[in-house]
Amino acid sequence: MSDWLIHLVLFVFACTVIVAVSCLFADADDEDAWRAFPKRWLGFMGGCLVVVLLMLLFEHTFASVK
Amino acid sequence: MPSDAPTDTQPASAGQEEGSAPLSRAERLAQQATPERGGDPLVAVILTWLVPGAGHAYLGRMAFAGIAFLVVQGLYLIGVVLSDGMFLEYLPNEMRTRFAAALSPEAGNLGALIVHVKMFGFGYPYPRVWPSTMDLGTALTATSGVLNVLLMSRAHFDARHPARAERAPLGPALAAASCWVLPGLGQFLQGRKRRGLLCAALLLSLFAVACYMAQGANLDRERHFYYWAGQFMLGLPALVAEFVHGHPILTDMPSRVDAGIVMGCVAGLLNILVMLDAYGYSEAQHLGTEPPRSPKSKARQAAEAGAQEDPA
Repeated sequence: MSDWLIHLVLFVFACTVIVAVSCLFADADDEDAWRAFPKRWLGFMGGCLVVVLLMLLFEHTFASVK
Repeated sequence: MPSDAPTDTQPASAGQEEGSAPLSRAERLAQQATPERGGDPLVAVILTWLVPGAGHAYLGRMAFAGIAFLVVQGLYLIGVVLSDGMFLEYLPNEMRTRFAAALSPEAGNLGALIVHVKMFGFGYPYPRVWPSTMDLGTALTATSGVLNVLLMSRAHFDARHPARAERAPLGPALAAASCWVLPGLGQFLQGRKRRGLLCAALLLSLFAVACYMAQGANLDRERHFYYWAGQFMLGLPALVAEFVHGHPILTDMPSRVDAGIVMGCVAGLLNILVMLDAYGYSEAQHLGTEPPRSPKSKARQAAEAGAQEDPA
């Protein structure tokens, strides 16, 4: 498996745990917590994607050594 | 300590007239909780932070205060003796700043940490050999810090809720401490077994993957002082892994060590949320209030209640 793919799998796994625990923390009712999970997961991943794009943009603009 | 609070089996007389409907368990607990205050919760917390047990002494619980002081400070003292007071010497020279110890678990026992820094500081200007019991010693001083934080939360709760029913449910601080022993144990003891098992599975699997990725390098406080502090919040599993797996001699850093130490630290920090969840649920049980819910959950519950009242 390529290094890139391993990092992606690890990242998704860590994000899933983070979002699952935060869902449980936000709601004492298990059913409501799980109902909120997909939306929160997508929101978290979307937020991470925005951060990645911003970092790539800044790197390309300010830190490129080409 | 003798208490004149009504017990769970006694009828709650306050606010209940003869002939009226019997009060529910939650209502009786709420009646016990509100009428009196043991003291200022903030004062109790700050006193406990500086001297373990002082907050409970302020609340008049002298026996509990004495035992808490002996246990928490005893752990710290034994830890200092075993580690020769050298835990801050783990830090490299460039990180030895005035507030370098503030992010260590020992900061939970602030009074002891201040005395420690005054007495030992960052050690001598030349390197020394670690004592053979260094790891055990630093684990004990860190445990003392975490225990004192739990004691602070107990002091805060006791100041707000001095009356305690004899057969009261699991206390908030004890529920949080159970989660430090094993993630999810507090929820399990509260009867929320599915949630407890899920928390344990999520956090322990994340920690196991982290140890595998870092090949155990994440377990070493000397290598990763601050990441270790975060990971230490996972509690007993992290400590057991450290002592079972040992401190591997690595000729070369594993290729994914960075991912491993970050994931281990995240697992520990997430356990703080699990501890807070257990604390909040027990606190709500004691105070007779609703456990924490999201606004959507509250709205759904209100809509369901409305539909039940008015089926037409």
